[in-house]
Amino acid sequence: MREGLRQSMAWLHTWSGLLVCWVLLLIFMAGTSAYYRDEITLWMKPELHAAAAANATLLPTAASAAHVVAALQERAPKATAWFIGLPDERNPAIVASWTLPPKKGMSMAERRAAFRKQNVTLDPVSGLETPNARDTRGGEFLYRMHFDLYYMSAIWGRWIVGICAMFMLVAIISGVITHKRIFKDFFTFRPKKGQRSWLDAHNATAVLALPFHLMITYTGIVTLMFMYMGAPTQALYKGDQQAMFAEVFPDNERVKPAKVAAPLADFGPMLAQAQAKWGVPVARIVVSHPNDANATVQLVRPSGQQLSNIEPSMTFSGVTGALISSTAEPSGVSSMRRAFYGLHVAHFADTVLRALFFLCGLAGCAMVATGALLWGVKERQKYAKVVAQGGRVGFGVRLVDALNIGAIAGLPIAFGVYFWSNRLLPLALENRAAMEANCFFMAWGAAMLLAQIRPTRAMWRFQLIVGALLLAGLPLLNAFTTTTHLGATLFGPAGLRAVAAFDLVTFALGALLGYAAWWLKRKEQKAAGKGAGSARPAVTIQTREAA
Amino acid sequence: MNLLIMAGALLAYGGLAAKGVSIDRHYADIHGRGKEPAPSLRLQCRLAGWLGIVLSLAACVAARGWHTGPVLWCGLLTLAALALALLFQYRPALAPRLAWAGALAAALMAALHWLA
Repeated sequence: MREGLRQSMAWLHTWSGLLVCWVLLLIFMAGTSAYYRDEITLWMKPELHAAAAANATLLPTAASAAHVVAALQERAPKATAWFIGLPDERNPAIVASWTLPPKKGMSMAERRAAFRKQNVTLDPVSGLETPNARDTRGGEFLYRMHFDLYYMSAIWGRWIVGICAMFMLVAIISGVITHKRIFKDFFTFRPKKGQRSWLDAHNATAVLALPFHLMITYTGIVTLMFMYMGAPTQALYKGDQQAMFAEVFPDNERVKPAKVAAPLADFGPMLAQAQAKWGVPVARIVVSHPNDANATVQLVRPSGQQLSNIEPSMTFSGVTGALISSTAEPSGVSSMRRAFYGLHVAHFADTVLRALFFLCGLAGCAMVATGALLWGVKERQKYAKVVAQGGRVGFGVRLVDALNIGAIAGLPIAFGVYFWSNRLLPLALENRAAMEANCFFMAWGAAMLLAQIRPTRAMWRFQLIVGALLLAGLPLLNAFTTTTHLGATLFGPAGLRAVAAFDLVTFALGALLGYAAWWLKRKEQKAAGKGAGSARPAVTIQTREAA
Repeated sequence: MNLLIMAGALLAYGGLAAKGVSIDRHYADIHGRGKEPAPSLRLQCRLAGWLGIVLSLAACVAARGWHTGPVLWCGLLTLAALALALLFQYRPALAPRLAWAGALAAALMAALHWLA
């Protein structure tokens, strides 16, 4: 190799980043928003806002549990399992779902579709079923999309996302090696200097949030490591994944039903026992084989005290109410994996930490976006002379420009349309939740297509403005379609602050897009004022075909 | 918000600012073109910088424990560094002044926390 290490790393950084950057931007944006998936879901289900407002007078855990058990006995006494989430600060309602014994001949997809309908939401104050909340997947859609993608089987999605994440990891490490002045330029950002400024912005958002970027990329791969790295299972368990899982996750062991009916014990004493041990009320309850002689009740501690994604739990006999077992301390390697997993999903994060994670996620979006723009800026220099003589830029530059517009300016449009569709689609619509998702991708597809047809500066401005209006208009949309407008959510009950925060953050992001559009316009006017001949070729980020 | 966490944020900012001031570019931005910090000052800045960063970690761990404390610390360092990068560009002279004020406020907050 005749080139130096830095040059070869620069090449690697450029291409490993560029190849996957548009999918990465989707993953980063959706993943970043997923830090607030509960809040997004709450915003998207205005029917629950009243319950959230009354959150201050939550029922004690035992009363909530009694209500939800009664509701489940009515709906699914013969379920194989009940899953109960008790209310907390981020999630006002009592939510419960159940699984039924699979019918013969049901495919996996059919089972999953059936499971999505097997749930009930209870008001945390009265314990009664809430007025049917609209059919939406809320923040869950964005969360699943960031590793499952959409319109394909989850397995395919996860492989694509995993490969993108591996490219990203390569790009991060090679980027650090190739960055010559990482310490001297640590705090450097010089605006209005063309390529220099884009590079500064790319460096600043990358280097200053580097702990987050490295962590989130690496731990993202770790969350799906059993899928990406099948060799150990092949070698040690002869490919029997079930056997491996049983050993790695001993707490998930399932008991078989006795097929003898037996009444469920009262949950009150169990909840009290767990709360006495942990010092905090129980967060989740899993009941296996309710109303069977072998029923078990697993109580799970709320997150917030440790990094691990798997909280300790206590398992009781569902018939006698006696404690059967508590989770064992995991092995060193196992706790490591759990901590990595936990770091990625950040369930432990309180308000401050969650905001910091969100901020770092935004920095990640900016890093990917500026990186994608930089390639175009650099590559265009090669065409400076040709363009000055009225020629065209190469196919690669045009393609990258178009993809950049469609991703960087187009994705915010898709997010905006998703939220607008949540309020504007008729409530009785068949498959409403799926339609919302379709709206997301129709909007994104349209943005991508338009960008491919005319990848110009005007298209940048147009898409940025559309995104700005959609996002900044959300507080207004919320005010017109619900009773929980900003005035009510900011100055009303504390339980509604999450709704206010959604309105304010989306407004701020919309304003940011609007600023970008305005900035482009101003630059265009300046360039026009200077005359075509003296324009600096490296400064622009768009094709000049339009000019 | 927890006083210790705020102290941790201010210490992270102060520490990074001290380190940033010892970098030629930013020193010249504050004190005039071509000026360079004296070697002794540079050393002092760097030591003060590391001290602030370590104390910030201590504050975070004291506030949130060894599990999430270090995570919080990384987040605060990132936030402080981003703020500092913008300050150095747009209001360079303000950066060290804010660092002094921040260090003072952090000491006050920590004292308040332990006394209360």
